[in-house]
Amino acid sequence: MRRRLGLDSGGIALALIVAILIYQVVVPLLMIVWTSLKVVRPGEPGFFDLTFSLANYARAFGSADFWSATWNTLYFALASSLVSFTLGVFLAWVVNRTNTPLARLINVITLGRIIIPGILITVSWIFLASPSIGILNAMIGIRGFFNVYSFWGMVWVHALEMTPLAYLLLAAALQSMDPRLEEASAVAGAGNWTTLIRIAVPLVLPAVGAAVLLLLVYAIENFEVPLLLGGRAHVRLYTTEIFYNTARTPTDWGLSGAYSMAILLLSIALLAGYFRLVRHNERYQTVTGKDFRPRRIDLGAWRYVTCGIALLLVFVITGLPFLVVFYASFLARYQSPSVQALETMTLDNYREILNDASYSLHSLWNSTLVGVGTATVVMLLVSTMSYFINKTRVPGRKLIDFLGFAPIAVPSVVLGTAFLWFYLLVPVPILGTLIIIGLAYVTRYMAVALRFVSTSMLQIHSELEEAAIVAGGRWLTNFRRVYLPLLRPGLMAGWFWVMVHAYRELTIALLLARSQNRTAAVVIFDLWDNGSFPQLSAFGVIIFGLLIVLVLLGQAAGKRFGVQEQI
Amino acid sequence: MKNLLRILYPSICLSVSLMIAPAVLNAAAAPSAAEKLYAELAKLNAAERSKRLEEGARKEGKLTFIHTFRGKLARDQVRLFEKRYPFVKVELTDMGSQDAAERLIAEETAKRHLTDAISLAVPDLPVILKQDLIANYPTPATARIPKKFQGFIDKENRWMPWYWSEHGISYNTSLIPPDKAPKDWMDLCNPAYKGQVSFDPPETRFMVGLYTLMGEEKFKQWLKCMGENQPIIQRGHTQRMNLMLAGDHAIQGDNFLYEGALAKKKDPKTAFAIVYTAPILAYAGSMIINANTQHPHASALFSDWTLSDESQKYTADEFRGPLIGKHPYLPEDAKIVPFGYVSDDIVERLHGYWNQYIGKKK
Repeated sequence: MRRRLGLDSGGIALALIVAILIYQVVVPLLMIVWTSLKVVRPGEPGFFDLTFSLANYARAFGSADFWSATWNTLYFALASSLVSFTLGVFLAWVVNRTNTPLARLINVITLGRIIIPGILITVSWIFLASPSIGILNAMIGIRGFFNVYSFWGMVWVHALEMTPLAYLLLAAALQSMDPRLEEASAVAGAGNWTTLIRIAVPLVLPAVGAAVLLLLVYAIENFEVPLLLGGRAHVRLYTTEIFYNTARTPTDWGLSGAYSMAILLLSIALLAGYFRLVRHNERYQTVTGKDFRPRRIDLGAWRYVTCGIALLLVFVITGLPFLVVFYASFLARYQSPSVQALETMTLDNYREILNDASYSLHSLWNSTLVGVGTATVVMLLVSTMSYFINKTRVPGRKLIDFLGFAPIAVPSVVLGTAFLWFYLLVPVPILGTLIIIGLAYVTRYMAVALRFVSTSMLQIHSELEEAAIVAGGRWLTNFRRVYLPLLRPGLMAGWFWVMVHAYRELTIALLLARSQNRTAAVVIFDLWDNGSFPQLSAFGVIIFGLLIVLVLLGQAAGKRFGVQEQI
Repeated sequence: MKNLLRILYPSICLSVSLMIAPAVLNAAAAPSAAEKLYAELAKLNAAERSKRLEEGARKEGKLTFIHTFRGKLARDQVRLFEKRYPFVKVELTDMGSQDAAERLIAEETAKRHLTDAISLAVPDLPVILKQDLIANYPTPATARIPKKFQGFIDKENRWMPWYWSEHGISYNTSLIPPDKAPKDWMDLCNPAYKGQVSFDPPETRFMVGLYTLMGEEKFKQWLKCMGENQPIIQRGHTQRMNLMLAGDHAIQGDNFLYEGALAKKKDPKTAFAIVYTAPILAYAGSMIINANTQHPHASALFSDWTLSDESQKYTADEFRGPLIGKHPYLPEDAKIVPFGYVSDDIVERLHGYWNQYIGKKK
């Protein structure tokens, strides 16, 4: 049964959600749509006139290069999503549903990958798999065997970047799955494989849909990999096409807006596919009023094989690039590993960063505040949104879902600029503070967080809330006491994802940075731009250490509040 | 759905009104006083002018400055200024030239006069000049600039040059012995260097420099033969330099030279050499003052200071190009080709040639 809402605390919460969505999503989107239909820049005379033009769309979509980049992008998105999804599924299953040894270690190393900034990872893969100086090529003695400067090299680097996202989404769903359904399958004579295919996979279909949806959208809007590798690989993707066509001063906001609308339309199409996939919500409700504990499948001797494969995977995903970063952090300038390079190792990079504490450490503090604050606000917001979307019949719930998801289609540079313009035009004094960055991040990360929580929300049976209502619980009490505790696996996974990404996000932070609100990502960019890869590596190692502490705290909280696992 | 739209519609109207209102209200903002002040100051003798500037800056006590030097390099220079003039607190933001120009335009279009001064590369100035956002600032400080760099000075005093940057050819000496190294820009087309010469994606500054050196036809020919030589196109000057020094490829076709020179200074064994026989393309970095600056005295004081011995020495010590004094690593007789900015239609044509011969090659 789905609830209809009156003007109680639930009604107030809904009104608040709508107001926040208007402020955080509708207004920036409106600005982008408006700008895409104007031939003058924001703020110039005529910008607010009611005369519109499709000239930007004609320019954007009238070029053959644009369509060639679009096909490249779709191919790239499908290939990288397939790889990251396969790896993510395997790791999530091994860690959460089997008795594979060292599961916790595999989990921590997989999550550790998210922590290392994207620029560092991409550059590390250049050092690992460059045809001429790649460490891997040197190890096997064949120059050019591995080539990161190729379409498949780009797919590989991006797929590894995205694997933890697929892992996190599916791990949260697998943790919330009632094992009795699988036990019933086993009792009926089905083996582990049949149970996996016929019971477990269909039950986590929303998570699978969400993962595929996000992987595709992230691949389409990925910028670092095509920027750093694509030029040399002679592969132009959608984002680099946008970048090269709009990266002039002053920025061509009309053209940027038109491109954003294309990504938005593509995202709407993908979201429609997702809605269709999960249209029978009740089928995925595995968390009921009966107590359950997730069961782990006994793989017998095969558990050592899964352990070996998983360890190898996480070594490639996290270990290899981290080792390059760690090694480089002790060098004066990057050199391939050799006796000569080892002789020149120094702690100077760490010393220099720590000596300039007011700059680098202050930025780490800013990032911690923004990361933790954004993640907390976003998860509270999306859990409430997800409730209205999935557990009520409130009119326009799909529109709420769409608005929550829409920001994923807006490139960071466009979103950051929309916020910059908005707060330049509106007399709210938050320019130069962490608040403006936090507000932009709330919009930026709402989409992915919403999928994390919706995946878990769909698994919760409505009978729990019905029981609470019968017992006289009011909406807020029921939401706080019934839904939030049961959503914890998804909430924790989403919180972690948002926190880490807000911590390392670059484009928006750069646009909105002033003297007092620099984040760690801005410092990372400064170091990269100044050419100090070793110093950047040292800073990356410091961030890695700091975020590991935050992750362990998060893990401890998850363990304290999450669903207890059967040992 | 109707209920939701009922809530959405007035909220959207309110938000848009909020957005529009300040722009409309500020449409007739008062003209700036900064230019009047600078015209007055220009009439004073040096000592009196200097006294007025310091007194004014002391009262203002603040300067909001965007530096296009990045990170520590920018901070340390500003610290030097703050040490010299402790009564001015500088609010520093560092970012790329294009981003800085974009920010000033955005702020001024919204009538929010948040930035006082910017250090900007001259080739990136046209967009700001077109918007008429810069204060005319005549200053005696430019009299110190030696003759060979006086071409960088703007006759209308819209910008004040204070350092210069270079684009030149350099190579990895482990991969190419000096006798086989290129000697000129055209040499980069030599098939012996096929797939070994790296560039950033199309960069207006670099192309304008080569256009100034070669002229349009020769520039086109060069791009054509360069395209046939399969150059490496990779984003990030410093990253490319680091990759070349690590042995990834042999030659930098378009890059600043200081990165390699600095690496060589730190470790003389670094396999790096500059091709001095090929002309080095040079453009000025300049100080510009926002016509609507809220701290006109502090802006002027800082601008003048950038040409002081103290600031110029700092620039040289950090391996950037000072306008006054000895260059930290380039010899006196290095062939320098100074360039500024060109018209939009030329820039469009240069980008078109790049796309035709290099940019879109698969």
